[in-house]
Order: sequence, then structure tokens, then C-alpha cells
Amino acid sequence: MYAFNYHRPASVAEAVKILKASSDGRCLAGGMSLIPTMKHRLSSSSDLIDLNGIKELSYIRREGDQLVIGALARHVEIADSAEVKKSIPALAALAGGVGDPQVRNRGTFCGSLCFADPAADCPAGLVGLNGTVITDKRRIAADQFFEGLYETALEKGEIVTGVSFPIPEKAGWAKFANLASRYAIVAVMVAKTGGTARVAVTGAKASVFRVAEMEAALAKNFSAAALDGIKVSSAGMNGDLHGDPDYRANLVSVMAKRAVQAS
Amino acid sequence: MYVGQPIRRREDVRFLTGRGLFVDDVQMTQPIAHAAFLRSPHAHAKIRSIKTERARGLPGVLTVLTGADWVRQGHGEADGVWPVNDRSGKPARTVNRPFICVDNVVRCVGEIVAMVVAEDRHQALDACEAIEVDYEPLPANVVTAKALDAGTPLVHPKFGTNEVLETYHGNKAVVDEAFKKAHHITKLEVPTNRVTASPIEPRAYMGHYDPLNDRYTVWTTHQAPHIVRQYFTRSLHIPEHKLRVVAPDVGGGFGMKLYHYPEEPLVLWGAIETERPVKWTGTRSECLMGDTHARDHYTVGEMAFDKGGKILAMRFKTLAAFGAYESQWQASITNAYHFTMLSLAYDIPGIFTQVKGVYTNCTPVDAYRGAGRPETVYQVERLIENGAKEMGIDPFELRQKNAIPPEKIPYTTAIGITYDSGDPPELFRKMKKLCNYEALREEQKKLRAQGICMGIGICGFFDMAGAGPVKMMNDLGAKIGCYDVASVRVHPSGKITVFAGSHSHGQSHATTWTQIAADRLGIPIEDIELVEGDTDRVPFGIGTWGSRSLSTAGVAVAVAAGRVIEKAKKLAAHMLECAPSDLVIENGQFIVKGTDKKIAFAEVSNAAYHSGDRPKGLEIGLEETAFYDPTDCTYPSAVHLCVVIVDPETGHVKLRNYWSVDDVGRVINPMVFEGQVHGGCTQGIGQALMEECAYDPSSGQYLSGTFMDYAIPHATDIPMFGVESHVTLTPSNPLGAKGGGESGTIAAPACISNGVIDALYHFGIRQITQPMTPKKIWRAIQDAKAGR
Repeated sequence: MYAFNYHRPASVAEAVKILKASSDGRCLAGGMSLIPTMKHRLSSSSDLIDLNGIKELSYIRREGDQLVIGALARHVEIADSAEVKKSIPALAALAGGVGDPQVRNRGTFCGSLCFADPAADCPAGLVGLNGTVITDKRRIAADQFFEGLYETALEKGEIVTGVSFPIPEKAGWAKFANLASRYAIVAVMVAKTGGTARVAVTGAKASVFRVAEMEAALAKNFSAAALDGIKVSSAGMNGDLHGDPDYRANLVSVMAKRAVQAS
Repeated sequence: MYVGQPIRRREDVRFLTGRGLFVDDVQMTQPIAHAAFLRSPHAHAKIRSIKTERARGLPGVLTVLTGADWVRQGHGEADGVWPVNDRSGKPARTVNRPFICVDNVVRCVGEIVAMVVAEDRHQALDACEAIEVDYEPLPANVVTAKALDAGTPLVHPKFGTNEVLETYHGNKAVVDEAFKKAHHITKLEVPTNRVTASPIEPRAYMGHYDPLNDRYTVWTTHQAPHIVRQYFTRSLHIPEHKLRVVAPDVGGGFGMKLYHYPEEPLVLWGAIETERPVKWTGTRSECLMGDTHARDHYTVGEMAFDKGGKILAMRFKTLAAFGAYESQWQASITNAYHFTMLSLAYDIPGIFTQVKGVYTNCTPVDAYRGAGRPETVYQVERLIENGAKEMGIDPFELRQKNAIPPEKIPYTTAIGITYDSGDPPELFRKMKKLCNYEALREEQKKLRAQGICMGIGICGFFDMAGAGPVKMMNDLGAKIGCYDVASVRVHPSGKITVFAGSHSHGQSHATTWTQIAADRLGIPIEDIELVEGDTDRVPFGIGTWGSRSLSTAGVAVAVAAGRVIEKAKKLAAHMLECAPSDLVIENGQFIVKGTDKKIAFAEVSNAAYHSGDRPKGLEIGLEETAFYDPTDCTYPSAVHLCVVIVDPETGHVKLRNYWSVDDVGRVINPMVFEGQVHGGCTQGIGQALMEECAYDPSSGQYLSGTFMDYAIPHATDIPMFGVESHVTLTPSNPLGAKGGGESGTIAAPACISNGVIDALYHFGIRQITQPMTPKKIWRAIQDAKAGR
């Protein structure tokens, strides 16, 4: 780990101020991705702004037709939340399968979105459920949030304060975990709202993506059988020790069906 | 009686409450300085220059040392405890693993190029980054199967080959004849994957030099502290009487913590140079890269059967990876533990094996829990499984047909090893009942009809454990004497300290050794404590490895305790005015048989130290030491069986059931024994399904440097184990104990591989190499479906 300045602001306004004043600052929520990369000296920041002192960011609540989750809500809280289980059980399932118990006790949904790891579960949750990222100054639609490998639409000095989700009629989550990291080799969130369907895939490419052909099929008939024969191309898919592009392409089809079955 | 009881572990209170004392916890009055190491990022490269000036000037830096300094100061090497032996008559091509690069060529990723000692760890790491090394990358060779191919880059060009040694064993003429008349021959590639132990505690060392008394101390994560003292006579030329080695609580060793790793002498060197205690605690990445790796055999085998499924003979060719250098015990695998056990639990008239050790630009290979036998069992059991299937014989039945019958035991295998005890057919019978074999086969049929791929994996084997005896192990190549040592010191109050030359890093000696002593001495276990792991306190020892401690150190405890009682009886008889043979010991009392005359153990022990009234010629004091050299190795045996469910869409393997029937001889503590089987099987499951030290074949880069990529089993991957025993006692030691530390790692890889192949055989799949990861299984199914 390289040396850095540590801050623990008590409000979002104060956090934004410190972040803007820093030369290369980063926010810390659960730290389950950031701290390991810092320990490996793979990332360094001039300033670490610890959001854990901002109590108002710890919440999960229903606001009208939206489920809203604060930036400090831990995976375990989302997984165990009666409100989440009632509104969007697939989201509770996703949160309950992130990493391991230690990671879930500390890590946050919003922190994972900001980190934008290509194999993280949460990005598929955001995109598949058509959520909206709430920052200190604006709202960003799911489809506009991720811009590539570890890249998001967040501007310098902008802090995510929460995320909101419309309540789908049905949603399902299926993940095939890497045996080592328990990140997704491929995981899929599917959701049905009215006559539309969304299929969001993580782990397979540099960033989360939607599968239009599957969405069209599911919009007509929201069943696993509707996905029969729909293959995705392995072009552009990740290849590593744990899966080559062909294997990942296969898993997209398999996991999409299983997500529908789970919905 | 304490022996045979599942007594709770006496060491658990400190471990479960986070109060163990590990190397990293040791505190000193003088502030501890920290070492960090600059390691090669290349698999093979020439070093044109190393510039350390900038690093030396950074805050907190105490010294920066390189191989040039090591050479200039005349320091030495880590030579083999178990050096290679070439049977073909060629000179053995040994290059010992260097502590720090001394010849300006690095030969594997992670090789140490420089050491920084600084006030704190972060300063030391900063300084490492400030060292400028100019590398000229060279082509690397990281594929064992291709190590001897023409054109493969040479790790040590001075030899003109990557071959380290050649060895062969068995009755070749019998084998060749058998293959000529065989009814059926099965041939298979049976490589074993490169894995590493990954204990919960990373390696850590602290060195200290006291110039006033000219005394050195090393705290080390080690399984054999007295051997460490011996290593230092060669590395830093420190004589044994000047060096104290302490191996305090150690969080898992598995054979991997048995070596003179580079960081061990380097921290003491740093301490001498800076006159400060110097510590290094490995990061997980440093350990996954620098801990010795294991297995990594490329083997091709053939098995010949007669019409009825009787195994006539088998033959193998193996390339055994050494990595870039020879680690100190490497040849214990190639020259002692691998080929010896090829007959497993079966009566096989003909066995021949040829093994060539090869250098590759990878981390050195050495022993890891099982050391050679997991490879052996895998290569033989895979052939048996496929042979049975090809001949249409039930694989369980074929194994039973070939199991060594009890009337043939002692049984001398075609390799020339004699199993002294055991009853393989009974192990198979017990297993058949335990798993309800016929019902499993019925279920398999039913599930297959529903498209569910269920497989049943089986294996049976004999292990060679309990090293020595000294002579036998010398003959197999060991330069150290394989015996062990224990002292039983009775204090005047009758309380007892046992000192043992073994080392517990998970094996529960504080519980089991005192169970043995308590029974021999006839006193409560609470009155006995165990000391291990400190060369200034324990007389001597060879350490804990190879499932040997119970049948060497554990027996030494029994022998020393027996001598104590013999002497105490003489004194007690004198005090009670009877003959020693009239006395029995019960509940801490010496009782004159058939009378109510008795005397407490504590009165006798007090008299032993403080009374002038004692039998003529009886020496004062009550303390005995035993150096115990067994009459033979021990030969534990077992049959394991598992059920797997393979998901053909994803290639995922669910291990549904795992049963074992082990014959480990006398069991001191059944709970501890079960724990050994659980832990061993878990590591074996890892080897079978997910673990792999992977290198990029073209660049030689190490790909599994963190737990994000090196997969070890999680609790959720492991089924409930069904552990059973069938005990036959070994005649080679007075406890009749054989040792059960390695059964799981030896059996599980073969057992699970056979299960997966059984689940997928109907697709036409005949072999999937380990680790059988989901992507590999999926690919095998696709290839089979496409007729590839």
C-alpha cells in the first residue's frame, strides 16, 4: 500500500468538498475491491474519503413505485431486507451471492457499481433491473452509467449517494461463479416489466451488456423456452484461466435461461 | 485410558480465541526492522545491471543487499537433504535453489534479486520499487511435457539438457512378457497438475543476532526446527551451538514448510548486517509464487489385463518437473515416495516405471502432503477405471478381484516394497456396505435416463508413511536420519513436561502426545504438558512430515515414558519395601499388587530429586530421553469412494458424497484422525477440481498469483464426509500406529477423477486432466459431441 491522506467526513457536502480539493482522491464505502488493489500496490490515491461516517447513506426503503438503496447499504443488508425480498427478490438473491460472507458484511452495492469490475454482480443488477444511479448532483440511467472496463459516467468530484429501482413484474438472477474469486464467470439478470424484458450479462465482456435478441424473445414470451436456440457470439468476450470466449458465450445462454427459471 | 478417546484438543483454546503465538506475533525489546524482496518479473532473463543507489537513499532504509554481496561475503548454499540419485549412471545434474540471484540469470518468476531492510514494511517496499534492474528476457520453458523436446529452451545450458536425473524401477522382463500375452491393454495420459499447499498462515521469518554473546536466533514457520539449524551451517555457516531456532505456533505446513526458503537465511543475514531484529511475513501472492509447488508429473501409462480382469502388469513413463532448481527434499519424491507405492492395494505381478526429472522455468517443486503418492494413485487408478469400463467389468468388482488377499500379507510388491499389515478385501467389503454400492449404481441408471450425469469414483491404495527406519531411508536417498526423539521430564511435584522433536502445525500433538504419555505414566493428562519447536529446549528432532510423527516421535514419547516408569518403580519398590515387579500403577499411585500398600507418584518423584534414601546405584532425578528408530516404514491403506453430479451445460461438478475406509493402525484420538481425513480430502478435492499453479506457456508468466485466480475449495464445495476405519496393527512399532495424515490428498484426486469420468463416459469421454474445471469439462463434452 502506498501512503495516502485519510478523511472521514460526516456529510455528503463535506465529502464532495474534500474530494474536489484532492489531487487524486477516491471514496471508500465497503472497500472490498479498492483495498485489495491498494494492498497490491495496483492502485494508489492521494486521498481516501471514507464515507462510513455519513449515517444518512445507510438505508433501504420503498419510495412509491421505486426501491431505493443508500450508498452504504451492505450486500448482507440487501440480501436480508424484507423490503427487497418483497419488492425485487432477484436483487436479494444477487446480493446474497456476492463474494463470501466477509465481503457481504462489508461491501456495498453502490461501491461495486462505482468500481465497475467487469465480473462484478451488481452492474448486471443495475442494468437488468433498469435502475438509476443517484449522485450528489444528478440521476444517471443504468444504460448510461457504465462506459467500459472499470469506467463509469461519474465525473471527477461526483459521489454516488444511492440507487433506485422500478419494481418489475418478474425478475430472475443466475450466476456461474469463478471457483477462485466467486466473482461471476457469467451472471445474468432478467426482468419483465409490462410488455418489455431486459437481459443484462456480467462477467462475459469488458463491461455489463444487454442481449437484444433475448430481450425481444422474452418480451413476447417470458419463459426459458423462449430462449431456446438463441446463441450469443463469443466475439469480444473475455478469455482467461477460468473460461475462454466460447465457454462464456455458452454460459450466457445457459444462465439466461436459468435466470428466467429463477424469476 | 486416554488412547483411543476423542479428547478435545488442548490447543484449541488459544487458537479459537485468537491467542496463538505465530512468527508474525513475536515481539522484541529492540524495534523490529522489516525486509522486503525484489523479485524477478521474468521466467527467464539475464540481468545486465542492478542499481541500488536511489533505494539506499530513501527514508527508513537500513540496507540494500544483492547476490553480489552474498558472494563477496562467502555465504553458502542450500544443499539437498534428499539429493537426487541418477540410476542410469549419468552424473546427477543438481543446481540448488539459490537464496538470492548470484549469477545474473533469473530462472523463474519470483526469484529474489535484492533485499531491502527498512524501519517499516512500506518503506522497504518503496525502496524495492526504487531499485533499477536491467533485464534481458530469455525464452522460457514452462511445459513439463515438452521439457526434453528438441528446441526447448534450456534452464541450465551448462548441462546441455533439461534432464535432472533418470531413474527406473520394477521387473521389466515380467512386464514385457505380460503385455505380449495380455487380453486387454489400456493406455492413457495421466498427468498430475502443479498445485501448492496454501496454508492459512503464510511463511514468515525473523532473524536476530546478539553480538555480545555471539548468539543467533531464527523464528520460523517450519515443520522441523532442528533441520533448520543444520541448514544454517551451510547457508550462513553458523555452527549449531550458536543458533537457536524457534518454530512457534505454525498455521499449517503440509510438507511445504520443510525447506530452507530463500527468505529464511536472508532475514538473518539482514539482522547481522543491521544489528536489528529483521522480520518478513509473506504476502499471499509472494507465497503462491514462492512456496514450493508440488506434483506436476507428465505420465503416460499402460495396463495389461487378462480375460477375467486380473491385472497382469503396468508400465509408466514420467517426466517429473523440478522447476528451475532443486529444492532440498525434491528427490524424496522421485527417488523414494513416488515409484515405491505403484502397486497400490493390488496384487500386480509386473510393474515397470521410468522417471526423468526435468528442469522448467517454474517455481521449484517439492513435497506436499502425499508427496509422490497422489501422483501414483492417480496414474494407476485411472488406468484401472478405464480398463474395467473397456472390458465391461464393474469397476468395484475388478478392484476386489485384484485386491491383495490378507493371506498374502506381508506382501512384497513387484517394486520390492513389503506391506507389513493390512486387509484390502475387508476395506472394499466395508466400503461396499457403507456406500450401499448396488443402490448407487441403480440410482445412476435412473438419473442418466433423466439426463442427469451421476458418477461413482473409487480408489484403493497403500501408503508408505512413518519414515524411517534410518537405514531404509538412507538407502532411499535421505541424508538425514529418519528417527525421532522425545524426553519425559518428571518434576519433583510429579507434574510432567514432555519434549518432542516433532512439530505440531495442526496435528494436535499437545493433545495426542500427552494422551500417550498419560497412559504410559498412569497419571492424569492435565498433569502433562508438551514442548516442541525450540532447539534450545528440545534435545533433537527430525520434525513432522510424511505422516511420520506418531510412529516415530509419538513412539519415542511412549518409550521415554516407559523408561521413566521403570526407574520410578525401582524407587517406589524401595520405598514400599517390595520388588519392582510387584507394583502396578493406577491413577497416579504405585500399588503393591494384592495389597492396600501404595504410594503416590508425586511422592516417588519428589524422592527421586530430594531423598538420600534410594536403592544403591539408582541415579538422582527422573527424566528420560528416547531416540526412536522404527524397524520399518508403516503402510497405511484405504479405500475411498465418491459420488459426483456433473452439470453438462456448465461443466460444474457437485461432489455429493465422499466416503473413506482407512486402516491407519492404532488411532490415538479418533476426532483428530477424522480431522486429518477431512483436511486431506479437502486438499485432494482442490487438486482434482480446481487448483492449478498455471503459467502462460509462451511468456512463462505466473497466472495464479492470488486467490482470485488460484482456486481452493470453499466450505460450500465440500460434502459431509463419511469416515470409517478398519484397524490392523503394524508390527513395526510398539503402538501399532501407521499414521493417517495424507490419506485424503493421496486418494481424493484419483477418486474424484474416476467419478467424473464415470459420469461422462457415455458421452465417449475417456480422460479429462486435472484440475477438472468447469470450462475443461464443458469443452470435453463439446468435443465428444462433435466426435473430436
